[in-house]
Amino acid sequence: MTTDFEPQIVGFLCRWCSYPGADLAGTSRITYPPSLRVIRVPCSGRVDPLFVLKAFQDGADGVMVLGCHPGDCHYVEGNYHARRRYALMHRLLEYVGVESDRLLVDWVSAAEGGRFAEVTTEFTTQVRELGPWGGGRVE
Amino acid sequence: MSDKIQAKARELLESGQVSCFVGYEEGTRGRVRPAFVYDAQDAERLIWDDRCTHNLTVYLHQFQGSGREEPPQVGIIVKPCDSRALNVLLHEGQVTRDSVYVVGVTCNGVRVNGQPQDRCQRCAERVPLVYDLVLGGVPKTVGREDYADVDRLEGLSPRERLAFWMREFDRCIRCYACRQACPACYCSECVAEQLDPAWMSIAIDLPQKQFFHVMRAYHLAGRCVGCDACEDACPMDIPLSLLNRKIAREVETLFDYRPGQDATTPPPLATFDKEESIPL
Amino acid sequence: MNVTTRDDVTAWLDRLAERFTLIAPMAVEEQVFYRPVAGSAEIAFDFVRTDLPVKEYFLPSTHVLLSIGRDQGEIHVEEPALDGERVVFGLRPCDARALHVLDALFLEDEPVDPYYAERRERTVLVGLACREMGEACFCTSMGLAPDDAGDVDLMLTEIGEEGDGAAYAVQVVTEKGRAILGSLSLEGVEGNPPAPTVREPIPILEAEAWPQHFDDVYWTRLGDRCLSCRVCTYVCPTCRCFDVRDYEMRDRSIERLRAWDSCMSEGYRRIAGGHNPRPTKAQRLRNRFYCKFCYYPQDFGPVACVGCGRCIATCPVNVDVVEVLEDVGAL
Repeated sequence: MTTDFEPQIVGFLCRWCSYPGADLAGTSRITYPPSLRVIRVPCSGRVDPLFVLKAFQDGADGVMVLGCHPGDCHYVEGNYHARRRYALMHRLLEYVGVESDRLLVDWVSAAEGGRFAEVTTEFTTQVRELGPWGGGRVE
Repeated sequence: MSDKIQAKARELLESGQVSCFVGYEEGTRGRVRPAFVYDAQDAERLIWDDRCTHNLTVYLHQFQGSGREEPPQVGIIVKPCDSRALNVLLHEGQVTRDSVYVVGVTCNGVRVNGQPQDRCQRCAERVPLVYDLVLGGVPKTVGREDYADVDRLEGLSPRERLAFWMREFDRCIRCYACRQACPACYCSECVAEQLDPAWMSIAIDLPQKQFFHVMRAYHLAGRCVGCDACEDACPMDIPLSLLNRKIAREVETLFDYRPGQDATTPPPLATFDKEESIPL
Repeated sequence: MNVTTRDDVTAWLDRLAERFTLIAPMAVEEQVFYRPVAGSAEIAFDFVRTDLPVKEYFLPSTHVLLSIGRDQGEIHVEEPALDGERVVFGLRPCDARALHVLDALFLEDEPVDPYYAERRERTVLVGLACREMGEACFCTSMGLAPDDAGDVDLMLTEIGEEGDGAAYAVQVVTEKGRAILGSLSLEGVEGNPPAPTVREPIPILEAEAWPQHFDDVYWTRLGDRCLSCRVCTYVCPTCRCFDVRDYEMRDRSIERLRAWDSCMSEGYRRIAGGHNPRPTKAQRLRNRFYCKFCYYPQDFGPVACVGCGRCIATCPVNVDVVEVLEDVGAL
């Protein structure tokens, strides 16, 4: 693995929980890798699994989908749907050759700035170790 | 059996109960093909044997829709796998039950070019799940799902799996035969051809083809009934069922759901369970 | 006739592969496709016809027409050029005739398609005559013969038995073909290559006779089982419709892509404003037959079908062009 490879991570953060969580990490001056590109969505339930597929295709080495904790969704049910969709999409992606550790679906609340930073840092390290995804081209 | 089907079709057409009967007929070069019979005297074209592989429910859509108040009544032959597809269409409101006269046929498996099909050996249903009339004898065999080929692929490393699928998708020519043959693919505008937003480019290259197949497989999650019309239609012998059945197995394992068993059980991706914990 | 052995041919092909991009039939799983090969060892010599035509190398399924980039305020446009010269080996007469059919549009009609023209110019065609017609073949009905050498630069015809001891008759058709013969050893012998076994041609309705059948309910009935996929158009050596779109790349440059399109797809003829003159499958299917047997010959000369039979072999619902031609003849 090249040590100077900086992975490109795309993060889909929900407007009510994980995005403010990320904000909190920022205002609290907690550092986390700058390789994260954030896309704010209203709810993790809005994240069409095709977004994840497209992110991998267009250059992402890793993708995160972070929503509210189950039971705390601002729209009541969105994250329950996300949970089911991603359970399937994660397994499908793995089956077609995307390493399981390249996709993270997790729950981060607006109060968990520290946790957001932790999750992001750990995930970035994980993806860095896997190396570039390269759009799935087999060399 | 063909004469029983012909007799029923004749009766339905003569009485005006249906305006068209969709079945199978002898094609050219020893092939069988879908048949659309509009007049009772043409019912003699209809046949039934183990070459009748097509899933005819894909055609029901063209008799519905168009905003007509009353869709024309259609008669149709369904095998057990086709009947599962019909249940999906009924469930999703694409076909109304009273607009279709369903002639179910019991099935011991079909053959393509004389070869028995793996999907038939794996099929648990030998009698259609929905019908107005069922024809055919008591089935002689029962199939059992066996995911050995899915297991084999899962046993490979991620890189090996990637190489496998890339090699398969490389042959794809983006002809959409798989999509067009599939009864569950009825979107009037497919993601693959949408211009705004442009999910995919017009390029017929590996990244687009990979996106198309993974996307289509995902859109069929909890809806694909394993009729393999897609794989039959593919001119490049791409093992699509290997993709669809992986998801089917996950849907069954995670949500205890098999698509097409009826037209009422809520499908897993339209519902949720608050308490469930799914390893992500 | 001039003859050579299989061993001499393979050695010659290996030498050609060093100077040219050699495109030849290659076995891929159970199918055969024209692919670039590194040497003769990769070539499949024993096949009826390839599963996809050679048009990919003249009208690629996808290629970049131009790239537009911006560098320090300067805009520059690049047209990717074809890399090197090519030799296509193992071209069946039907596929060679198909290039002739495409020439009528892309080369002989204004404006000339420069991308197609460049590829045609820089490719030498080495034909391989058929000894017999395939199950779905009907080239003789389209005015062709399985050993027709009129559209290639060199024609090889198998003589004698199959296998490594096989020998070929070599016919030089054009100077372009002669120029690559090089050191292929040829021996003059008495006689002519064996004639292929052929089937009776079926009569094809001439272009002028098609319009009268346009409104026949036959087309609606035929269209019932059509799935409106694109298989027939993509496996066809003479189908040539394409779409052109611009895309922004990640580095903000723009790529103009050309890719195959198909008249069979629902939205093919939809125009700005949303009107679609061919909204039903039956209309599109009818149009495909009319395009091939009526419009193209009227507009450009040749009938846009060479009788290769690929559409017959691959159509999932048995829309059989030979059957259609017979039916239309009897309407």
